[in-house]
Amino acid sequence: MSESLAVARPVPAEPVPAEQGRITALDPRRKLQLALGAIWLLDGILQYQPSMFTRAFPRMLSDSARGNPAGVAAPITWSAGFISHHLAVTNAVFATIQVALGLGIAWRPTVRLALAASVAWSLGVWWLGEGLGGVLAGTASLADGAPGTVILYAVLAVLLWPADRDADPPFVAARAVGRGVARGLWLVAWGSMAVVAVLPAARAALGGAISDMAAGEPAWLAWTDSRLGALLGQHGLPASIALAAALALTAAGVFLPSRRAQAAAVVLALLAAAVLWLAQGLGGIFTGMATDPDSGPLLALLALSFWPRAAAPANPANTAAPAATGSLP
Amino acid sequence: MTHMNSPGWLSGIFAALMLTVAAYCAGRLVTARLWRRPTELDTDSAHIIMGVAMAGMLVSGLRTLPADLWAGVFGAGAAWFAGQALRGQALRGQALRGQALRGRARRGAVTSPWRCLHATPHLVECAAMVYMFLLPGPFGSPVGSRFSFLSLLLALFLLGHVVVQGDRLTAPVPAPASVPAAAPVPAAAPVPAAAPVPAAAPVPAAAPVPASAPAAAGGCAPAGFGRPRLAPRCAVLCKIAMGITMGYMLVLML
Repeated sequence: MSESLAVARPVPAEPVPAEQGRITALDPRRKLQLALGAIWLLDGILQYQPSMFTRAFPRMLSDSARGNPAGVAAPITWSAGFISHHLAVTNAVFATIQVALGLGIAWRPTVRLALAASVAWSLGVWWLGEGLGGVLAGTASLADGAPGTVILYAVLAVLLWPADRDADPPFVAARAVGRGVARGLWLVAWGSMAVVAVLPAARAALGGAISDMAAGEPAWLAWTDSRLGALLGQHGLPASIALAAALALTAAGVFLPSRRAQAAAVVLALLAAAVLWLAQGLGGIFTGMATDPDSGPLLALLALSFWPRAAAPANPANTAAPAATGSLP
Repeated sequence: MTHMNSPGWLSGIFAALMLTVAAYCAGRLVTARLWRRPTELDTDSAHIIMGVAMAGMLVSGLRTLPADLWAGVFGAGAAWFAGQALRGQALRGQALRGQALRGRARRGAVTSPWRCLHATPHLVECAAMVYMFLLPGPFGSPVGSRFSFLSLLLALFLLGHVVVQGDRLTAPVPAPASVPAAAPVPAAAPVPAAAPVPAAAPVPAAAPVPASAPAAAGGCAPAGFGRPRLAPRCAVLCKIAMGITMGYMLVLML
């Protein structure tokens, strides 16, 4: 068999055991979906850490209720108490769900189911695990991923949904929901962070929050966070204004008509994501208490999904290839 | 290297999973020999050894060899896969120059269906094992934290590899080129110039694939010798299980 290049009759392009032939090249959206799946997988593995099986985990959840309205705080307190009483089982279930979400996104037949489930899971965790990002409590801080790290998973799941609503999408995120909705979500995501950056409480506490990230971190990261926190503590107002301006520029950037200007906005978004992730102590991932890598990687993923596409080739023979390779079950 | 500080039942589950993978891969090697079905000898062998070693790391009662000895074994494994990766790189370079369908590259050792063509993930797995065995002190200790960034990088690579493998389990094969069902073309024959095919033209799903074609399942060479590869999806599932467990162990070392 391997000694021939015999051509059989045409067969529909349906999933078959991949070892029988070459697989299609991954299209950009599928790559981003897989990156999202990998982050979910990492989240699940982080949830399996030994510290998550201790009382520290429900205590961390119940802390997010503080300052929230009673209607928001009560379910958080109840769920934290429930988890505290069934710690090993609930935490193992949480971890396994997140691993399943990651694998579900990776496995093509379940990609829709996994993305839909990830939206529901994200919304639930945003409320019961993050206290709605501290938005209503007035404690929202970019150092903690405000207005909510986990809500970014839901946004990405919507933007990377395997549908093609826009016939000629200018960027990957527009394929599923259309360019208008995609740009609206981008505006909300980055615009809300710009607002959080200049909130009085967050402005005052940003330097301290970043310095606090140093505890339990490796020396090089602790040093970086300590210095950055001290710097922001001394120049809190100008730094907050500069950060807010950069985030606002990023938010508005995808509405600019020029492709180059949009690309510049995406690059700015990637830079902002990197700086924020560093300020977040890489999500506290080295402390043994992180449940996720925080908002930095997700913001970078969001930015990449808005990278402006090159103009479609005029040659019709070439235009068929992306459609074939981009199809998902 | 000491016993990992994680819930005992969780470590037990992962250890059982690893032993299952090891036993399954041992069964694959035996079955492949009996049925003369191609399988990746190097990958399956590595998974047997890794499964046993990782089970011993997860559950102290399952330890078999000293850490230094294990490190030496996986160092040798890493060297093997590094060699395979370099050869694969050279082969791909030849393929890019249009030499893939003729000459020795087509029948060379690297393209053997009994070996993995994309060896880099296995190289990283072996390197991660060496790293875990050579790290001094208990996992999660201050000594270990100096290298935590390396743990994170290794874990991220392996988890990324897991999702790519998951994707390839059901990756659609490109639509076939509308080439008439003609007589088989001899292996060494060049593609006829009279039948130009667009550059993006895919390979038919049901068509036999040359042994030098890039692999799909597991990123490894397709089956050869006229026989289909032995349970390729199960092989991919083993890689996924191995990647998740190793990712878990590396995260414990952050």
